[in-house]
Amino acid sequence: MSDYSVVLKDLNKVYNNLLKDDTVALKDVNLEIGQSEFISIIGPSGCGKSTLLKIIGNLDKATSGEILYKDGVNQQLGFVFQDSVLLPWKNVRENAEFPLVIQKKQTKENEEKLDELLELAGLTEFKTALPRELSGGMKQRVSIVRALSYDAPLLLMDEPFGALDALTRDHLNEELLKIWQKTKKTIIFVTHSIEEAVFLSDRVVVMSPRPGRIKEIVSIDLPRPRGEVTRNDPKFSEYNKYLRGIIG
Amino acid sequence: MRKSGKMTKTLRGVSEYVLSVGIFTVIWYLYVAIKDVPAYVLPSPGKVGKGLLDLFSGGTIWAHLGTTTFEVILGFLAGAFLGVVLGYIFMKVDFLKTALMPYLIFAQTAPKIALVPLFVVWFGIGLVSKIILIISMVLFPVLSGTMLGMDSIPKDVRNLMKVLKASKWQVFSKIELLYSLPSLFSSFKVAIVQAVIGAIVAEWMSGKQGLGYILTFASSTYNTPMLLAGIIVTIILGIVTYEIINILENKALYWHESKKI
Repeated sequence: MSDYSVVLKDLNKVYNNLLKDDTVALKDVNLEIGQSEFISIIGPSGCGKSTLLKIIGNLDKATSGEILYKDGVNQQLGFVFQDSVLLPWKNVRENAEFPLVIQKKQTKENEEKLDELLELAGLTEFKTALPRELSGGMKQRVSIVRALSYDAPLLLMDEPFGALDALTRDHLNEELLKIWQKTKKTIIFVTHSIEEAVFLSDRVVVMSPRPGRIKEIVSIDLPRPRGEVTRNDPKFSEYNKYLRGIIG
Repeated sequence: MRKSGKMTKTLRGVSEYVLSVGIFTVIWYLYVAIKDVPAYVLPSPGKVGKGLLDLFSGGTIWAHLGTTTFEVILGFLAGAFLGVVLGYIFMKVDFLKTALMPYLIFAQTAPKIALVPLFVVWFGIGLVSKIILIISMVLFPVLSGTMLGMDSIPKDVRNLMKVLKASKWQVFSKIELLYSLPSLFSSFKVAIVQAVIGAIVAEWMSGKQGLGYILTFASSTYNTPMLLAGIIVTIILGIVTYEIINILENKALYWHESKKI
């Protein structure tokens, strides 16, 4: 228990409906997420994976249960949304810097770190571009840098590459792993792509719908650093096949 | 390159303006000349031009123009401020919206001219009743614009602010206000025109100064060239204030999709 990042204890989420039966979105979710772990949550639509992530991110409240954060109630966390939600009047750098402005952390050190992150994400040349001038993949990179800019140890990602084409997605997956290895964040990653989950994660949490609960947790024992070689590894396709079998 | 492109665009806009006004004046001139319309019904452009010249060369017009401009700007600023504040409060407190919206719609649909005598009774014939009339005309469009703008904020932007633990003031000043700007500026454009109308109507009914007063004066003395000249000055005031809003919009919304060059 000493090196956990987040612990979920008996989380339940119930939506009360006036005319129909109550909808149980999450039922008895228990999960311990280690520090610097990359964990993915997959499952069919409506299995409550996004709800679970929102609850972990304090954007939604659980009906019952408890969440323990390593840093207690004031846990800082970064959230990457499905849509990049960049502010259209700010350029790339200003968007990435936005959390520092809000939290009044514009120190010289943080600004330098931000420039490093932009460099790492290949955005240095686009610092002064406005969001409307960027492609979907670029926007999502900015959104990731923004989530990392204030150095929150926990990063929550809600299908961040869901709207991108397969090539861009593969490319960004590799870049995300690089950033993860460099920054040592704990990442909780929600996706509906099995391959994405296997490629990225230490563990994959499979959820089943109605009521949303954890069906199985699969440890992905593939060597790191992962890249093109990983995708061609026969074990990679075995994991995919196995997970596809569970999700059914 | 971009700068010169902008220049030609402005020049083209101006020349289109001039051409349109020019053609209109020629048709007007020909109509009056051919049909031999009496001057007290419709004076020729030349006579109106002379009336315009008289207004300006006499020097009295400046005081009247100044009074109206002052009323328009003051009324617009006060009304726009109140509109933004009320719109914000309505979006945050549902109860107030439900409670107060019917009155605002009532005030908006009531004919403003009918309200002027009432305002005169309540607030006198001075500046106050005029400003209140202008505010009543500016408030509603700006209020609607604010509410529409705040409604247009994506849910995840609010979630982002929550994740960042932003204060209410930060959410307002850094997100809500800026996201509302496009619809706010649309409402400002409607509102500034309304403000000019409001000022003229108010001066018409009560007052000894302003462009509205010139119009009533010219009308009661059957000075049609002066009346038309007064109308032209009013229109110019409307266009100039409208264009000022337009310029401010282009500066403030450089980032918006509609401003792509």
